[in-house]
Amino acid sequence: MVNRTLITLAVLLFVIGVYTVAVSERPWAPRSDVEQPIPFSHRIHAGVNKIPCQYCHEYARRSANAGVPPVERCVGCHGSGLLGGIKPVTQPWTDDKQPPFEIRWNRVYTLPDFVRFVHKPHIWAGVQCQECHGPVETMDRIVPVKEINMGFCVNCHEQRGATQECFVCHH
Amino acid sequence: MSDGLSRRSFLKLAATASAAAAIPGCEPAARKLIPYVVPDENIVPGEPTFFATTCSECSAGCGIVARVMEGRVIKLEGNPADPISGGAICARGQAALQGLYNPDRLAKPMRRKPDGSLAAISWDEANREFNDKLAAAGKAGTGRVAFVGASMGPTLDAITLAWAKAFGSDRVGFWEAFSDEPARKAAEACFGKRDLPIYRLDQAETIISFDADFLGTWNSPVEFGRQFASFRAPKQRNGKLSIGNYAYVGPRMNTSAAKADEWVAANPGSEGAIAMAVLNVVVNQGWIAPNSGIDVSAVKAFVADYDPEKISAQTGVPAQTIQRIAAWFGQATEGAVALAGADDPLAHSAAYLLNAVTGNLGKTMVFLAETPPEANSRPEQIKAVIDAMRDGQVDVLVIAGGNPAYSMPPTYAFRDAVKRVGMVVWMGDAPDESAELANLLLPAHHPLESWRDTAPRAGIYGLGQPVMQPVFASRAVHDMLIESAHLAAGSAGQAIPFENAADAISASWSQLQGKIGASGTPKEFWDNARRTGGVFTEAKPAAVNVVSTVWKQKSQLPPVPAGLMLWAFPHAFLYDGRGANKSWLQETPEPVSQIVWDSWAEIHPDTASQLGIEANYEQTRLFAGLHVIEISTPNGPVELSVNISRLVRPGVIAVPFGQGHTAYGRYAKGIGVNPFAFLPEGLRSIAVSAKKTDKTHKLVTPLGKSDMMGRAIIESMSVEDLARGIEPQYGEEPIDQPYEMYPPIAYPGHKWGMTVDVNSCNGCSACVVACYAENNIQVVGKDNVNLGRIMSWIRVERYIPSLEEAGRGPLLQIAPVMCQQCDHAPCEPVCPVFASSHTREGLNAQIYNRCIGTRFCENNCPYKVRRFNWYDPEFPEPLNLQLNPDVTVRGAGVMEKCTFCIQRITSAEINARTENRAVMDGEIVPACAQACPARAITFGDINDPKSAMMKRRDDNKGRTYTMLPGYNALPAVTYLRDLYQEKGKA
Repeated sequence: MVNRTLITLAVLLFVIGVYTVAVSERPWAPRSDVEQPIPFSHRIHAGVNKIPCQYCHEYARRSANAGVPPVERCVGCHGSGLLGGIKPVTQPWTDDKQPPFEIRWNRVYTLPDFVRFVHKPHIWAGVQCQECHGPVETMDRIVPVKEINMGFCVNCHEQRGATQECFVCHH
Repeated sequence: MSDGLSRRSFLKLAATASAAAAIPGCEPAARKLIPYVVPDENIVPGEPTFFATTCSECSAGCGIVARVMEGRVIKLEGNPADPISGGAICARGQAALQGLYNPDRLAKPMRRKPDGSLAAISWDEANREFNDKLAAAGKAGTGRVAFVGASMGPTLDAITLAWAKAFGSDRVGFWEAFSDEPARKAAEACFGKRDLPIYRLDQAETIISFDADFLGTWNSPVEFGRQFASFRAPKQRNGKLSIGNYAYVGPRMNTSAAKADEWVAANPGSEGAIAMAVLNVVVNQGWIAPNSGIDVSAVKAFVADYDPEKISAQTGVPAQTIQRIAAWFGQATEGAVALAGADDPLAHSAAYLLNAVTGNLGKTMVFLAETPPEANSRPEQIKAVIDAMRDGQVDVLVIAGGNPAYSMPPTYAFRDAVKRVGMVVWMGDAPDESAELANLLLPAHHPLESWRDTAPRAGIYGLGQPVMQPVFASRAVHDMLIESAHLAAGSAGQAIPFENAADAISASWSQLQGKIGASGTPKEFWDNARRTGGVFTEAKPAAVNVVSTVWKQKSQLPPVPAGLMLWAFPHAFLYDGRGANKSWLQETPEPVSQIVWDSWAEIHPDTASQLGIEANYEQTRLFAGLHVIEISTPNGPVELSVNISRLVRPGVIAVPFGQGHTAYGRYAKGIGVNPFAFLPEGLRSIAVSAKKTDKTHKLVTPLGKSDMMGRAIIESMSVEDLARGIEPQYGEEPIDQPYEMYPPIAYPGHKWGMTVDVNSCNGCSACVVACYAENNIQVVGKDNVNLGRIMSWIRVERYIPSLEEAGRGPLLQIAPVMCQQCDHAPCEPVCPVFASSHTREGLNAQIYNRCIGTRFCENNCPYKVRRFNWYDPEFPEPLNLQLNPDVTVRGAGVMEKCTFCIQRITSAEINARTENRAVMDGEIVPACAQACPARAITFGDINDPKSAMMKRRDDNKGRTYTMLPGYNALPAVTYLRDLYQEKGKA
């Protein structure tokens, strides 16, 4: 009798646990449903036109953040009359509340607050952007290919003989 | 980890690059990425930018460097180029950030309605009202506009005067509660020069301080902290190893007195007489410098009344003590210096004359040529302004800074006078008591948001530049003044040739270039000043001699005190009350009493038993005081809880300044007592009577017992033993042989360690506040401190030696204690989830996302440096903008501790790796070491014997020890013992 109650309780707890995990929002998980305010295509820029990643994400080798290109960088190429001027670049597509000249991109990749990820050493160690972000040069809209979790990080660190010190990322 | 104040929300705010607009968080944090439209080529998002500016928290005028991340200043450091700060900064300077991001800052202009409540108005409306009232006052006659506030540097003060002049008024008072008036008066009497000298404590062999708390609140504490550490470092003097002689004369042992060889517990008001008695001995023993040009007979006549025996009878200070410290002073061959900080004018003159007759004028005490004009108005000027207000001669009064309603003596009757003014305009950041009196409240820029300059002394021109966009919709005080003069004062106002304060500063700097003859184009000069934080030149000393008339002046002997004296002292952190709205400063324990969030009456056990209080709080280990006494003051009775301590003279009730605010924001309001409210003008002490009440009020301290119980926590040794090579014995159980279960841990690369010189540490607690700022440490409040939940990762520990020990060794034992980063860390094996783990660089890591909050590690830590988050931290907006984005904000249920600033270590290691080199010695400086004015903390690589940190251990062999060695925890922090002189010799 006691056993039966316990087993029921255990099963119930297990189901609740599975359910919680299944429906819980992990706010830092990369999201494949993110639409951007303008129809920017990485395929055209990085794939067809072969613009190097760091031409736009210029801070990746210098800082923790890779950096989103400033609007000025877009205008650098798009600004001439030949290519249609500035307007199409910042024309909001999905977000009509967007102030002029300001692109409010939606974030695809985030990390939880207790992880300190720094792009800089990874770039200098020769890690290709695609190793974490997938074949971006083939994507019109960025969708995550890999889930960036600790297993993913540690695997790579192990293969490359990089540090596996918890403290380096968690502080 | 916790929502709303995370690194991500910081970045989100930062990424907008539209600094003025705070975005309400109605969507998941950081789901938006908003790039710059046009990027600043000097700003790399994610990397800090540094701006040199000046500190405005006191009149010392230290140069500081602001660390700015994506448009938000997150940390202040000393400016290494500045000769005053020398790259260090004090606790109060660090906390300027909390003034900038204070959640109680005025966000909008406000007008007071007839019922006394405040209504927000637009800036247009506020400016119009301000200008209209000024125009009317300007037309109504001369002198109908007045200004009372703090000095904001020479250029801006000149504008204030020009502004008043444009409205036909000269009623301007620059108010500073702790003014240098007595020191200037004495300098005028002694040397005919109403000026302040600079001191060179490091070049002295003897220091006597007549209640000048020069390591805490007097004059320029950061500079003196550095000089004093150098003075006190063991060095060869007269052929033997010596730490110099240092005596402190004053009613209470503060941090300055704690380092003294001799603390002369003098009654308030008797410091001057004791100084004269010292001068008497110096003169009569013939210790006058041979070529000082002093008329010996005149001096003898001058000090004749101050025979040590007589003064001893008068003041209760033993004559031998006076003779002993006089001998230290007179016989110092390598220079001596006397300082005076007491309210007693005689103390100031006597200290100056002591320096002069012993030939130290121009050596350890130097008057500089071309000193900048006085920043503060003289008391009579201030009083004239207030009298005019009281007589109804003023229509518009502007109050900007200085909080006169709180800090002026009651005899000024400032509040009454303000009632007679038609329109009171208050400009400032957090509304204080003075704002309560105002009709119109205008939010003004914090100094870190505005242009200004400083002239702390001859040769030093500090440039204060804004380090970020304003947090609120505020305006610079002088922008408002200039604009109102232009708009409301007619042609007289147009005479002010600047558009705004920034204009005025740049104009006065282009003049400065000509004045000091600096080379380069004006633009180069200006850019260079902005880069280095000012222009720092070597000023020439002025030729100064004692005026012979001073010897003819007669002074009165102090009265023999009959009853109790209440004596108020500047709080080490709250100072004159301006620090009270900064929670870091409230929560950092006052170094000597270790009391937080309160004001208290510090009394000697003898005084306590006279009052009928026989309590020994030491035994409770829970609080620093409980029983409330009622003290009668001219302003009515005040009630204060007593802190019973041997560190105050019997018969004196020592009360800190700084608390007792009735406004000034959530952190300041409703705590303690404000002594300014009842002290007479120019005095810090007053005769009172006191009686015990039945009430209780707990004084809270994070410290347990004040007794080391003979254990090796803070060790000290005599300098004589150091010379002899004898190490002191402490009651720790010796380990027969190191007990090792496992082979020693290999540290193939770096192994980080620290060397902490207890002899240099003066307890100023700059490290503590720096750590709060750098590591996003939460402030828990008084009740939680009482429950033992203070979160500081580094603390200044202080122990009170027994009378017998103090007769032999140091008067007070003070040292910073942070995580010792043990090799055999007791915290590590007890963690069930490996949240507490050992790194290959010798750190005891605490991995927050692993931690499940068992607190086993905290229990097992012999140094008690681990802190548990009982609650989610609160950083009321906009304090959250100060958070360091490189450090996780820990949530509830997680253990945390000192990391040796791992974010700075990893950042330096990443830089080194990308530049393909090794980490250089000195490249990594943890926040505590960076802030320390005395340079007591050195950080470095234990595996590198040439590192400055290891060299410091080598150079001080015979002084090194590790805390509580009996545990065989093998700490990475090595302390250098405090030094004292063997007593009983002259």
